[in-house]
Amino acid sequence: MRGRPGLYTNYSKESAIFSNTTQKIWFGVVLLFAIFLCFFASEYWILLLTTALLYSVACWGLNIVSGFAGQINLAHGFFVGIGTYASAIVGGIASTSVIGYELDMVFWLPLSGIIASLVGLIIAPITVRLKGLNLGLVTLALVFIGSHVFSNFKSVTGGAGLGRKVAKLKLFGVDLETGVALGSYFLDKNEILYLLSLILCVLTGLGVKNLVRTRTGRAFSAIRDGDIAAEAIGINIFKYKSSAFALSSFFAGISGAMFFTVSGGVEPGTFSLLYSIIFVAIVVIGGAGTVLGPLFGSFFYTLFPALILVALKTFEINEQALPLNMGQLERILFGLFIILFLIFEPRGLWGIWFRLRNYFKAWPFSY
Amino acid sequence: MITFLQATVEGLSLAAIYSLVAIGFVLIYKSMDVLSFAQPALAVVGAGIISALAVDRGFPFLPSLIIAIFLTGILSSILERTFLRPMVGEPVFSVAVLTIGIDILLRTLLDSWIGVSPRYLGDPFPNYGTLGSFNIGGINLKYLETSALLTAIILISILSIFFKKSKYGVAMRATSFDQEAALAQGINVGRIFGLVWFIAGILAAFSGFFMTGGFNTLSQFSFVKALRALPAVVIGGLDSIPGAIVGSIIIGLTQGYVAYYQFQLESIIGLSLGNGFSLLAPYLIMFVILIFKPDGLFGTEEVERV
Repeated sequence: MRGRPGLYTNYSKESAIFSNTTQKIWFGVVLLFAIFLCFFASEYWILLLTTALLYSVACWGLNIVSGFAGQINLAHGFFVGIGTYASAIVGGIASTSVIGYELDMVFWLPLSGIIASLVGLIIAPITVRLKGLNLGLVTLALVFIGSHVFSNFKSVTGGAGLGRKVAKLKLFGVDLETGVALGSYFLDKNEILYLLSLILCVLTGLGVKNLVRTRTGRAFSAIRDGDIAAEAIGINIFKYKSSAFALSSFFAGISGAMFFTVSGGVEPGTFSLLYSIIFVAIVVIGGAGTVLGPLFGSFFYTLFPALILVALKTFEINEQALPLNMGQLERILFGLFIILFLIFEPRGLWGIWFRLRNYFKAWPFSY
Repeated sequence: MITFLQATVEGLSLAAIYSLVAIGFVLIYKSMDVLSFAQPALAVVGAGIISALAVDRGFPFLPSLIIAIFLTGILSSILERTFLRPMVGEPVFSVAVLTIGIDILLRTLLDSWIGVSPRYLGDPFPNYGTLGSFNIGGINLKYLETSALLTAIILISILSIFFKKSKYGVAMRATSFDQEAALAQGINVGRIFGLVWFIAGILAAFSGFFMTGGFNTLSQFSFVKALRALPAVVIGGLDSIPGAIVGSIIIGLTQGYVAYYQFQLESIIGLSLGNGFSLLAPYLIMFVILIFKPDGLFGTEEVERV
């Protein structure tokens, strides 16, 4: 159907991952641009982009459980922590105080996800019985229980205030920490991390996009839109709610395994309530229940501090002259953005993008 | 026996503090179906205003306490009017996240004001008796804790009379029962929302004072204490005021007993529970209770239409 991209003649075409050629081309262009950035962007931006990519992996996970399946989860940071420590045990270096087995990345990356999703499954009997705000509060409790366990389980986490080193970057026996020569070009650790996160991000993104159009994805939306009605039409609530939790924890675990390889070490105090709330906020700012939303949200959240810095520089405002320091300024604006998006654009950044796209699609006509 | 009584008394005074925040939570939840995560931040705001007036400006303590409580109430209703009124009818989760946003906002501003070193509130309680405490039959009672208990009892009885007898109390109950029907009866529902937040703010400020008064001091971590009222609300049921009080007593006593008996407990289980386990115990209890009663002990079961 040339020239009529909105016309679908069969169902499988409409539900395809890329429903038209334009989307395929755009995906390719963005992907190429992202790979291109790896070689030309400065170290600062590469680190920021890596964090953004990893955040989006974690937030896609949260989006599965909160956006698609409609279950409030305030403990996503806890599952990220589980993933971090699982990978640190399997792939980290043992020392006098902490355990570690120094295995290959092929093992620790999937294992961190699997262990996190197992924890998700263990608490499933509680989370499935609850709904709405009570569920949110129980997951809130999970954050506190988690941070207590993390700071007291010294043989794994190194204890509060001390922390430990995370998993070693070693893929198929090749040590990536020191960098790899790629022909005449030398890839250093940050660039390798960026490329790995990019691969991870693309795979999980396509995975989520695929999940939405499967039987499981449809069951999730049915549960979100009305769980009693979903049960009445024969959806096994227990199975799908717990699998939503397990899936989201898997994503959290994987991203958690990668998160701290950037800095190399992790302290148990990181996994606080605010850390978990960051994920919720990213999903809300990006647009809950959409595939692209968490991606937009993560990039917005991570690139935002850089934008503030740029703004301060262009207006020649000295950082010391401000009544608040950078971290506080960031947090205040972060809180404000949560509030403003919820009030004025509940569909988040995705909603803005959606309207812009439709505006230009029909341009110069209004619809 | 003395240890037990000491733990009980300390647990009860904690319960009093929690119950004040918890009632605020329940009032807001009942009237507008909003779970306000901003309540702990409001409690700390109250304490912060007292400290700013009484210590930094050198005001006498009692007027600054009253001003602070009043201002917190006003701030609370301003927050409701600006941020929450546009959200009426939105999904509960969005509104809850919005209050988290308010909480982040308030807390960051406060943290930057509090700074690194803890602040005193300038209250006279530590000067009474020996280090602010007196002794009855071997039990060490702090003046601050005792007054917290008394204040909570007084405030709760005033509130229950207010809900039963006064015009606005009845209007509030009508609003929480059915907003549209209340509107049809000529009740100004918006004003009721403002009033509910005002009362919740006042209660939060009281609890904020008792949490940070005396030697407890106001620091960047004070707000975590107020957040511990959340399990109390959940145990009691989100929409029940007696539930909030019972939940607070359960949480307070647990915390008191665990703090005193953790060592014995650990030797029975044969496992180290870690530092500060008493602060975690409330959440564990909440977990257990929610498994058996998903709506809390006193909460009404939600009737859903498919």
